[in-house]
Parts: sequence; C-alpha cells; structure tokens
Amino acid sequence: MTDQSGVLQDVRQGMIPAHIYNDKEIFELEKERLFGRSWLFVAHESEVPEAGDYVVRRVLEDSFIISRDEKGEIRALFNMCLHRGMQVCRAEMGNASHFRCPYHGWSYRNDGRIVGLPFHQEAYGGEEGFKKKGQTLLPAPSLGVYNGLIFISLDPDAEPLEDFLGDFKFYMDYYTKQSADGIEMRGPQRWRVKANWKIGAENFAGDMYHTPQTHTSVVEIGLFREPKAEKRKDGTTYWAGNGGGTTYKLPEGSLEDRLRYVGYPDEMIARMKEQWSQEQLDVVGKDGFMISAASVFPNMSFVHNWPRVEEDSDEVLPFISIRQWQPISEDETEIVSWFAVDKNAPEEFKALSYKAYLMCFGSGGMFEQDDVENWVSLTSTAGGPMARRLLLNSRMGMLENGDNVVEPLTTEQYSGPGSTRVGYSEYNQRELLLRWADHLERPVEKAAQLHVGTSAGQTGSLNGPGSLGAAAERTGSTAVETVSREG
Amino acid sequence: MSVEAAKERNGKTLSEQSVLGGHASRTQRTGESLPFSDGLHLEAHRWLVDEAYLLDAQDYDAWMARIAEDVHYLMPVRVTTALGAGYSTSPGMAHLDENRYSLSRRVARFATEHAWTEDPPSRLRHYVTNVRTFRTHHPDEIIVDSAVLLFRSRGDVREAATVSAGREDLLRRTATGWELARRTIMVDESVIRMQNLAIFL
Repeated sequence: MTDQSGVLQDVRQGMIPAHIYNDKEIFELEKERLFGRSWLFVAHESEVPEAGDYVVRRVLEDSFIISRDEKGEIRALFNMCLHRGMQVCRAEMGNASHFRCPYHGWSYRNDGRIVGLPFHQEAYGGEEGFKKKGQTLLPAPSLGVYNGLIFISLDPDAEPLEDFLGDFKFYMDYYTKQSADGIEMRGPQRWRVKANWKIGAENFAGDMYHTPQTHTSVVEIGLFREPKAEKRKDGTTYWAGNGGGTTYKLPEGSLEDRLRYVGYPDEMIARMKEQWSQEQLDVVGKDGFMISAASVFPNMSFVHNWPRVEEDSDEVLPFISIRQWQPISEDETEIVSWFAVDKNAPEEFKALSYKAYLMCFGSGGMFEQDDVENWVSLTSTAGGPMARRLLLNSRMGMLENGDNVVEPLTTEQYSGPGSTRVGYSEYNQRELLLRWADHLERPVEKAAQLHVGTSAGQTGSLNGPGSLGAAAERTGSTAVETVSREG
Repeated sequence: MSVEAAKERNGKTLSEQSVLGGHASRTQRTGESLPFSDGLHLEAHRWLVDEAYLLDAQDYDAWMARIAEDVHYLMPVRVTTALGAGYSTSPGMAHLDENRYSLSRRVARFATEHAWTEDPPSRLRHYVTNVRTFRTHHPDEIIVDSAVLLFRSRGDVREAATVSAGREDLLRRTATGWELARRTIMVDESVIRMQNLAIFL
C-alpha cells in the first residue's frame, strides 16, 4: 500500500490533496483504520419500541440486526448464522421472537442465543461435538446509547460512547432531547449518490459559506427566509468533543420570543425549559444563537431548519433530521436520512414538521437536491491525475501565519462548551479531517477470532484424534454476552 | 406490488395511511378494468402519454395546469419485510407526500436560475405502460393504473439512473379536461439509485 504520510501531513496543515475524495487506496485505509474502530450510529430506540421489534443496519459490508429482546434490552447482533454464514434475517425491519436460518434451520432468539440446532445429537454427537449451550450470534463488539441513539463500534476496547461524544452531547440535546421523553424517529429514506462520504459530513459540520450560493433558489421561492449571505455570516460555528456544527443568529428578544421565531409552540417551549440546562437555554435566550446543521465524527449528521410550509401564512415550522453517510466505495455513498421529532410534540406540529423535512431535506428535499449535485461533481473530478497535483485550501478563518481571522467567543459572550466563532470559517471541516488523519495513521490491531462450538485448545485435528489444532484466541463464544447500555 | 394490492394494516389505502394525505379524495375503483376499446380508457391512456411528454420536456407549468387543487401526490418509502408481515412501506415516512402548494414550490424552484441540480438539465424519458382504467362511483372520476420507467441521464459520461414504479392515479373530469387528483407511486426499490428526486413520476 502506498505511504500516505504525505497526504496526512498536508491535511493537518489544512491543505487537502483533492484525490482523497476519490481514491481507492485511501478508502481501503478508511475501512480498516477508521470504520473498523470508530463509534458509528445505526438506529434509534424508537425504531424498535416493542419487544421483538428489529431493524437491520449495515456498518460498511457488515449487516447487524438491531433488536429489542423479550426483556426490553437493545441488542446489536451480527447477521450471520454461526453454522454456514447465511444471513439469519433478510428483511430490513419487522417483529420476531426468533430468527431462523433458511439454509439448515438453526434458529436464534431475538437476544441472539441459539435455540434450535436440528439433529444436534445425531449430527454432532450433542454437546460433546458442538457446544450449543450459551452460543449466540456475534454481538457488536461495542454498543452504546445516548438519548436513545444507538451506536456500535467494531472495536471491543472502544472508549465509552459518552466519553467519545464528550461536550458535543450539549448540542445533541437540542436535536434529541427537547422533552424528557426525547425523540421519535421515522424512516429512513435511503438513496445512493456518486459522491465520497466525507463531503457531506464536512458540509454539515461547518459549511455556512455554501448556503447563500448553493441554496439561493429556496429563498427565491419563499421556502426559507434565512440563508441570505448577510444572515448566515452572523451565525457561529462551534466544535465540541467529537462533533461540531453551525448556528443562525436570532433576532433580539427573550428565550421564548426566539424559540417562537423558529416556530416552536409554547407548550414545547415550556418542556424545553424544564429539560435543558441553564447554559443550554442561555445559548438561545441570552447569546441568541439557534443550532442548524452539525456532524459527529466520522459520518453522522444533524440538521435543524425552519421553513415556511403553508400557503397564505408567514409562519415557519422547524424540523430535525438525522442522517448517516454510509460509505459504499471511494466514489459512492448511501445517504440514510431520518426525520426526528419530539415525542411529546402536538400531533399537528409533528405532521407539519414532517412536511418541512420532506420539502427541504431527504431524497426529494429542495435544499438537498443542489448539495448532492455539487458533491457528485466534486467526487468525479477528484478521481483523475490532475486532482493529485491540487491541494485544496481548507484554511478559511486562518491567516497564512496561522493567526485567526476571528477569535473564539469568550465565556462572557457565549454559554456553550467548545470553541465557537462568529462568521465563515473551515475550523470544523479541519477538526473532522484531523481526526480522520489520526485514525488513518494508526494501524489496527488484529481482531480476536471466535471459535464456534468448541472449547479453546481442544479442537481435534481434521485428520483424526490425537493432534491439537491451532489454539483458539478467544473463548467468548461459550458465554452469553450481555450487551451493555450507556446513558 | 400494485398500489391496489398494497392496502396494508386495517385495509387502509396508502393515501389514507400517509401523514399528509388527510385532504385527499377517497374515491376508489369499482369493478373490472375497462376494455381497451372503452372511450374512458382511451382518454386516460392519452392523458398519461401526454403527461409523460410534458415531464420529459420539464414543461412544469403545463404539467401543473393538469393538477387538481386537492391533489395528493404520494411516493412511499419501500422496505423489505418478511412475507406475511402485512406491509412493505416504511410506516410514517415517504419520499414525497405532497399537496398542490408543495408541488408548486418544487416547480417554482426549477423556474429560478439557481436550481443547480437541473442546470444543465437532465435528459429524461418516461416510459409508461401496463395502463388499465377503472370506473368509480363518480361519473367524472376514474382510476388509472400504470407502470412507469424513468431514464435520467446527466452530464456526458455519467452512468444514467433509472427508477421503476407502479402508479395509481385518480383522474377527475373538469370543464377544461382531466385533472390529476391523487397519485400513489410504488417505487420498486428500497434504496433509490438516483442522486435525488428532482424529477416527477
């Protein structure tokens, strides 16, 4: 494999070798060193509200069943039969007490435990030959939940999810904890675009600069009143923990005035006041900023906007969308996009908020249509030899000597955690790519293997009794592992 | 699966189940499909073919003139579910769940000079086939089923995208001709293989 240290060094200087947006070798490295160990969003608890509910989600090529077992625990089970490796679940959602492999009929409870192994005695000689007791579909190596958002990591030694999210949790609460019961999530819409996955994550993390140009049309048709250039640059970009995002500057007024300005009804405002910390309320009420788009490293994003969705009315309606940029290859991404709304919101609000989402974002959204056109074009151009000569300048906000164009807001000026600046900059895009470079630089340790149905070190030779096979590297297969929950 | 066959959960139509279809007409088909020589069928078929030419040409003002005030334009998200699950669309989520106002905004956007996704415009071809027509209890309303395959090419060498779908339309006769009062689009993929839905089916 080509040495990429020069690429990573350039990225750390804020100079982006353009080919990283369409490079097979880089993508192979991302799969192994980034997606092979990072925390990745897969589902929300509200998608599996009842015992037996499941959805099937992928982490690159790996399929996982995200299920709620009979005890109400959330499980993330590798969707591969322990016998011959068939997918035990070939639907993408449903409700099931068991998953039965169609190949030879092995079956598993919705917590992963094996219950049915046809002809166990006759074919294997019972437990002597194949230890069925305690066998389970492989659980995701790590699982964590924050505000009902379920993440998994392929790294069994991943740091706790909440430590990973860090101060970004402060901002996640605006999207996913507007009342004590949190959100309900609907969808996802899924569609594939010929664009590299990093572009969307970078755009949502901090690209306020594109709004007045890319999204001119949605202002012209009266859908959105905000993205005019002079409005967008009054907002902020913030980076906190392992995520960052953008805000809009709100007009003068009280906390209530400002939440009403983006379309929240009073009963929802009352619940936000009960739910959010004083600092979270102050970012809106005192500092006058309202969260818009955001990304968590590496490939999860949020968006919160407030378009005008009905004729003969100047009122706007806020919506929230959560999405994952699922990498397919170096030049293709599956966008997985959900609509999210506070569980306790009035039904009429939920319906109009959903309408706002459909009009603006997702597979048919009018903002999104123009974004994707740009990203497809960028990806296509990045694949050729000339792109290898071009270092894209991603240093917006910094002078050549490294000095800041605009200094971060002080604690007197701003109540939220992290580093926050008013105006256009690319600090957040650089933060994402710095983490990306850190991962790509660090080799992964070989993952432990799992020997199914045998005790460690006891595997007899294929040629007969007497000689020992290779020693098992891990004996975890003999114990039912309880998937831990965070948050 | 046809739209008619997709009456899911409690026998409700997809339009009835949708989040934003509360305003939609509930007129349903009656009886068998009409003979292909029936005048109503011939009118319906002509309407769909004329519409396909308008959509290919992105002549959206002319297209909107054929859309009823109370239109419900629905494209559910399809999901892969086990046989017998009783549903194959994502509960509470669609790709498009439109009324006349939201359709008018989409069309108005294409008329600006800043709808980059269609500048340069796509080359579009809507293939419409398997058309059949049904009477309803209203003499001036008919139900028309059709299959549509959209071919969309952008740029010079980019791989073209296609979308295959079944449609159920409610057409209503007015003084100036037939209008589309309800359309339900059953797309045949769970994951759309097209960069966006800046098109109409």
